[in-house]
Amino acid sequence: MANHSQLGFQDASSPIMEELMRFHDHAMMVALAICSLVLYLLTLTLTGKLSSNTVNAQVIEIIWTILPAAVLIMLALPSLRILYMMDEVNEPNLTLKAIGHQWYWTYEYTDFKDLTFDSYMTPTTDLPLGHFRLLETDHRVIVPTRSTVRVIVTADDVLHSWAIPSLGVKTDAIPGRLNQTSFSASRPGVFYGQCSEICGANHSFMPIVVESVPLANFESWSSTLPS
Amino acid sequence: MRGLLARRMKFHFIGAFLVSLGSATLYKFAVAEPRKQAYEDFYKNYNPMKDFEAMKAAGVLESAPPK
Repeated sequence: MANHSQLGFQDASSPIMEELMRFHDHAMMVALAICSLVLYLLTLTLTGKLSSNTVNAQVIEIIWTILPAAVLIMLALPSLRILYMMDEVNEPNLTLKAIGHQWYWTYEYTDFKDLTFDSYMTPTTDLPLGHFRLLETDHRVIVPTRSTVRVIVTADDVLHSWAIPSLGVKTDAIPGRLNQTSFSASRPGVFYGQCSEICGANHSFMPIVVESVPLANFESWSSTLPS
Repeated sequence: MRGLLARRMKFHFIGAFLVSLGSATLYKFAVAEPRKQAYEDFYKNYNPMKDFEAMKAAGVLESAPPK
């Protein structure tokens, strides 16, 4: 989860999120270069140190057409690389359905058994000591570590969005439509997210918690649940 | 003062280019590279089972309660 006053991304817990972070650093470098260039020239202009009486500007016009085009290509190529990487068919070992309702999520594991459960936010009055306000749920999504998990996201009533920042996942839940995403948790742990599409009064109170555990523990957990 | 504007513009355009390149390089070596290195260092000797056992003992996992 994010700390209070945190500005940057949460620590990446999946390979895709690590790629996204790297791309963000790259894009930030480009943005910083352009902004500092503009600020420098603007300061010079406003202090009267830079002016122009040029009427024939052919060379500079060519330069400031080619350079921005090159910058855009520098941004587009890594961006498209990650976009296509996110859509790769990577043979997920587990498929999970996430169905958004007002105002809770239903999860279905139907690969081997018919496991279905609802996940409601733990109210603040019932929160045990040390747990996170507005982020904890009564039932968590348990997944095996370092295994690709496919998530099919849909909704039952209005638009919702299933998002977990540290795993680099955000997929809209649209009634009547199945959206697919996948992720692979790089390490064991608990990862928090919140509904990311306005869906009514309790939109801020339907969080998502994914718990990543080693495969053996995942199997023993799933065998203890009733079908 | 002959050619002052041309001289000054050339000087400042080169200066602006160097400032923008410098700020990008500063960001790369002050932020981007340390972040990459931090992830590399974290995963170099990472033991997921040890981490998992520590989380289990701390009682933070729903699917693996502490004994």
